[in-house]
Amino acid sequence: MIEGGWDYVLPAYAIALGALAALVIAVALHTMRWAKRAKALEQDKRA
Amino acid sequence: MLNYLSNPQRFMGFSAWAAPLFAVLATLLFAIGLPWALVFSPPDYQMGDTVRIMYLHVPAASLSLGIYAFMGIASFVSLVWRHVLADVAARAAAPIGATFAGICLVTGSFWGAPTWGTWWEWDGRLTSMLVLFIIYLGYIALWSAIEEEDRAARLAAILCLVGVINLPIVKFSVDWWSTLHQPASIMRSGGTSIDDSMIGPLATMAGAYAALFATLTLYGMRAAIFRRRVEAAELRNAA
Repeated sequence: MIEGGWDYVLPAYAIALGALAALVIAVALHTMRWAKRAKALEQDKRA
Repeated sequence: MLNYLSNPQRFMGFSAWAAPLFAVLATLLFAIGLPWALVFSPPDYQMGDTVRIMYLHVPAASLSLGIYAFMGIASFVSLVWRHVLADVAARAAAPIGATFAGICLVTGSFWGAPTWGTWWEWDGRLTSMLVLFIIYLGYIALWSAIEEEDRAARLAAILCLVGVINLPIVKFSVDWWSTLHQPASIMRSGGTSIDDSMIGPLATMAGAYAALFATLTLYGMRAAIFRRRVEAAELRNAA
């Protein structure tokens, strides 16, 4: 059986979860930015 | 369903509740799947604890292929039927597919180092997966490079459809060529070769990845529709 597997497992998990977290943050910020601008536009139209 | 959602107004109504629902589902599945994969699943009798990388690597590989197939269908629909949201869906899915393909390549290297004795090998499966990752990047770059959105959508859809040729190459590379990568162990004739104790965490992580893909694609599409509304209004104001 291969010994010392955790030396590979932990960095693999850190990189994968870090990449997923970065993707989630990027999509969330992008969506919030445009939603905010669209909402402001809607409010301007109503005013 | 596709026709129903082709109306951006109806899509916004649908995604307003569907996206948070998928987000909750993804969070739940990751909350169950990660401790199951990292702590509670057994080590492999040969690979030891390195087998835990499988729970990240296999779903990332499957999803990156599946997402590209989804983009291929959306691109076809966009080119043939000019479905209003098809190119929006394909564009929103691309960064997610690219991230999954990147995760597949990196975790594969971390798995290959202790089990094969090498971080990288130019064999059929690894190389075709790298090509898929590069196609994803090319697709994203093409969208960014062309200012006129209709033209960008058309060219990106054509590039995407050309790239679909790579999907069967990735899938069957392990059968067509002698590779270091193992042959299919889940979707194969004769049933899965993975032990029952590992199927649970693997399926849970695959579900978590799929729910995350649905969440991010829906939010990405919503952002694109908001952006189009803002840009259209700005154009009207400028005229």
